[in-house]
Amino acid sequence: MTVQPATGGMAGGPSPSGLADVIDTILDKGLVIDAYVRVSLIGIEILTIDARIVIAGVDTYLRFAEAVNRLDLSETKEPGLPEMVQSTKQGKVGGKSKDVVQGVLEAAGEKLHGFTDRTDERQETRRRRGKEH
Amino acid sequence: MSVGTERSLGVYVYGVVPGDVELPEDASGVGAKPGEVEIVRHGEIAALTSEVPLDRPLGTPDDLYRHQSLLDATVAEVPVLPLRFGAVLTSTEAVVDELLAPHGEEFLAGLKELEGRVQYVVKGRYVEQAVLREVLEEVPEAARLREEIRDMDEDLARDVRIRLGELVGNAIAAKREADTRALLEAVAPVSLLRNVREPSHELDAVHLAFLVARDRQADLEQVAGEFADRWAGRVEFRLLGPMAAYDFIVSRKDGG
Repeated sequence: MTVQPATGGMAGGPSPSGLADVIDTILDKGLVIDAYVRVSLIGIEILTIDARIVIAGVDTYLRFAEAVNRLDLSETKEPGLPEMVQSTKQGKVGGKSKDVVQGVLEAAGEKLHGFTDRTDERQETRRRRGKEH
Repeated sequence: MSVGTERSLGVYVYGVVPGDVELPEDASGVGAKPGEVEIVRHGEIAALTSEVPLDRPLGTPDDLYRHQSLLDATVAEVPVLPLRFGAVLTSTEAVVDELLAPHGEEFLAGLKELEGRVQYVVKGRYVEQAVLREVLEEVPEAARLREEIRDMDEDLARDVRIRLGELVGNAIAAKREADTRALLEAVAPVSLLRNVREPSHELDAVHLAFLVARDRQADLEQVAGEFADRWAGRVEFRLLGPMAAYDFIVSRKDGG
């Protein structure tokens, strides 16, 4: 019995785990030590890297609309949400776990700064648009 | 003999295993200066542990990889009850006295149940362009809104964009559900348990975990391969495993 080679990056069997895969598995799943141990438990600080994207909400909807708008319209350069577009592209190369690792590592490194920067940029964009009225 | 009140080292616990476990050769612990992985035994069960300094947070990519790779290397030989990342106790004695001894029967029963069984995870992500084309073909209203927006002033179009995006999001969610159902049905005959995971990305097509008997691993891989082929071009499909049964272990109820 063999596994058929496939274009989806599955050729020859299972793929190696990327960091995002590991995060999905060991930060969320498994036995919770608190359920068994109280007295000798040490609450050590854990750096959490959340690679997940909120999948329903206005930001997502605008991103989808933007992506639909871009279909077959490669010359259209809409302003706004450039980081989002970038992160979608990173997601798209997910077949190669190396790229995913890279993407997540970058995301983790820039987490705090990146997050506040993005918020500011979005607000700026909105303000700028407001002025045009 | 004096014992300091301030501790500088703790004992990190990876998981619970049968007492006759042997360490994988390249085992490496978590932490900035990885401690040696040790087996703390109590009767028929044991815990995999290593010392960690307490003055630094855990959770670098290396830490995460080491936690999972130790457990996954171990599950190649024996059943493993994986602990969630980040379990640190005060001492090796505490691992025995508070973890292994009081809960030994429960852990042993869990290990027996997992004997000869491993977990796989399937992750599929829609290829954006492909899935959006599908949506525009299948949802006339989405195609109409897309045309409408093109001639509109960008500010005025915001509400329409949100409506279009919501339609697309709902259509993708419906596809996710249908594709997940199809894969679940196909995998059911070759798996023992299945867990539908939360999507971790808005373009997730399928995100599932399966518990599989070792003698059905090849069958599972074959079914997964068939789906990777069937969805080629529209879903980037990956099969991860075999790994410890992270998704199929439920902590006992916190009874106090």
